[in-house]
Amino acid sequence: MAGTLALAEPFKVGVCYDLSKAYTFATPQVSQAAMDVAKLINMQGGIGGEPVEVIVRDHGNEPQRGIECYSRLSREGVFVFDTLSTPVSLAILPRAMEDGRILMQSLVGRGDAVDGTVFEWVYPVGPTYWGQMANDIGYIKQLHDDDLSDVKIGYIYFDYPFGQEPIEILKTLSQKEGFELLLYPVPLPGSDQSGAWSKMRRDNPDHVISWMLGGAHVVASKEMQRNRIPMDKYISVNWLNEVDIANIGAEAATGLKRGTNVVGGQDVPLRLEIINKLYDEGEGSGPLVNTQDVYYNTGLAMYSIIFEAARRAADLEGMPITAESYKKGLESLENYDANGLMAPITVTAEDHGGGGKTRIEMWDGETWVPQTDWIAAYGEVVWDVVRESSSKYGE
Amino acid sequence: MFYRLSGVYHSSLISDSRMFKVPADRNLAVFLLLIGLAAPFILPSLYLNSYILPWLIWTAAALGLNLVTGWAGQLHLGYAAVMAVGAYSAIHTVRLGVPWEIALIIGGLAASVIGSLFAFAALRVKGLYLALTTLAMQFVMDWVLTHSPTISGGSHSSLQAPTLALLGQQITSDAGYYYVALGWCVLVTIFMLNLKRTGLGRALVAVREKDFAAAILGVNSFYYKILAFAASSFIAGVSGALLVATFYFLAAPEQFSVNVSIQVLAMVIVGGLGSIIGSYFGVALILLVPGLVNGLVVTASEELGMQVNVETLAHIPNAVYGALIVIILMIEPLGLGKLYGNIRDYLMTWPFDQLRK
Repeated sequence: MAGTLALAEPFKVGVCYDLSKAYTFATPQVSQAAMDVAKLINMQGGIGGEPVEVIVRDHGNEPQRGIECYSRLSREGVFVFDTLSTPVSLAILPRAMEDGRILMQSLVGRGDAVDGTVFEWVYPVGPTYWGQMANDIGYIKQLHDDDLSDVKIGYIYFDYPFGQEPIEILKTLSQKEGFELLLYPVPLPGSDQSGAWSKMRRDNPDHVISWMLGGAHVVASKEMQRNRIPMDKYISVNWLNEVDIANIGAEAATGLKRGTNVVGGQDVPLRLEIINKLYDEGEGSGPLVNTQDVYYNTGLAMYSIIFEAARRAADLEGMPITAESYKKGLESLENYDANGLMAPITVTAEDHGGGGKTRIEMWDGETWVPQTDWIAAYGEVVWDVVRESSSKYGE
Repeated sequence: MFYRLSGVYHSSLISDSRMFKVPADRNLAVFLLLIGLAAPFILPSLYLNSYILPWLIWTAAALGLNLVTGWAGQLHLGYAAVMAVGAYSAIHTVRLGVPWEIALIIGGLAASVIGSLFAFAALRVKGLYLALTTLAMQFVMDWVLTHSPTISGGSHSSLQAPTLALLGQQITSDAGYYYVALGWCVLVTIFMLNLKRTGLGRALVAVREKDFAAAILGVNSFYYKILAFAASSFIAGVSGALLVATFYFLAAPEQFSVNVSIQVLAMVIVGGLGSIIGSYFGVALILLVPGLVNGLVVTASEELGMQVNVETLAHIPNAVYGALIVIILMIEPLGLGKLYGNIRDYLMTWPFDQLRK
């Protein structure tokens, strides 16, 4: 019955985002990218002859309102949801699993959801924090000619589940590779890091991996200058954007690195096409400045995947697209990189994460320079942790 | 006309101590209860489970906070932490194989023990100092939850609740969850209605008005404060556990963070300190209005065909909602409960009082 109802309906994505509270450092850019991708697709004839639609709603990072958004849009026939908020994603997950609706949760939510054998309806396409951390270590290993035995790696992180999550992987890898691991917890929101960095000066680690966001990067850079720790030791999680670079100072940030699953910068083919066809015609979904931000590229990547899966679902199973056929569409993605926009992903029924590839980029004072290919290191170690955690779901 | 009274006059102590002094109030309560019982057959499941169900559970929780803040006059900024204690202990108990009925009570008792233990230390100070001490409890609890994977459920800090089962019956339907929430909310409401009529309730009010004056009258204010904390923590604990069991289905630290504590306090203050019906209104305003206003603003902008940036669209409801709180508190500082009371009092003898004038 749901199929016949959906016949005249466009393919819709429920974008329940936090546009007013904690995640506003990224949600405006990502949701703008979502709307732009949808517009571009509709200009080119839509999917399966029907226009596509993104429905953006604010949930203020409150689980209760996220559930409300999910329930409301579900009734309107939406079966693909994206929350870009860990608390809301966690709150929706049990319902999506129960109702058989797709929950996309790139970069947020529980990382063990990449295990498709357990989390049938959840797709954290892109790197998990575990995988991203393993890739960071893989990069450091490349730098030290495959020998990490004399290397000291410092880890500075928000003392909160977001920052604590990768510690398990770090400890496992430290045992495996023999590097010394030093932990520097920082209280939220990261405005006070002086203790951590002066300890860091004494310990003098060879590399510092940072799991912080927004203004905390700026604080870190100041502390690094104060403690004379060179900037090129700093390897950030993917949450570091052009605004942070501008706040640190383009010159001062030279040498800084970040892990990423999308190509940074403005010369990405898809972005150029959107600028050309939408923004130059005054049809963009928001201010142009939002598109000059790596989180915009992140959004382009997330929604290219979401719509590409819909296109494949339409090709494979025909219209209308259902949750079942959409799932098949997602799982048929193989080495898909959205025309050079991001790390190639291959989603399978077992691996809902798409392979978890990232690369390290360095800020050279003007632009981001890739330091590695797209890599996915220590796959088995990461999957051991994933399975260990996912096996506890539903107990 | 509406209340068919010319005033409230009591001729005996028994009539003065009735739960509902005006028959029309009792009739209204019975009527609302019947609507509540029929709601799953009247309302679509979206409204039932996304609005009414959380509203009922949060009302039960807010009534618990009203007990300690509205009745006993003790400002409490760590209420969500107490709810978390109840939720996490109940879930862990169920996961150990204990039935839900017992687990809910254990959750409530655990919250009660932690809540009153903390009150023991906190009640050495008063007023704003007490508020800050309870806030400290909130932060202690946040820290414990984010730093002990055994409690919070692994490195993702999400703990799944086993399926709710009461009286040997697995509860999985929308209506089932709703009735559990309704049952708990009605139970707490009846308790609070009766509290007014007991010596305990009067002692709490005496402590609130002036604790050393109460002491002179022979009321042991420290004892009653602890009692208020313990009872309210019990309600908080069970409400927290039910919130997870019937609504969230898994517990995460963010569901019980400091802003949730402040939200519950806002519910109680906007609703009216010491007002039961006010708690219902306050919860509706703080919990449901942001979502509803959001929906209205979105619909309005779509109907009018306005090209509004999604970000602006998300902030308009917040502004409207904030303004609403300010306006309500300016019109009636004693909250929505008092606002309702004013209307009720006006209509009590209407139109007969018009003749007198």
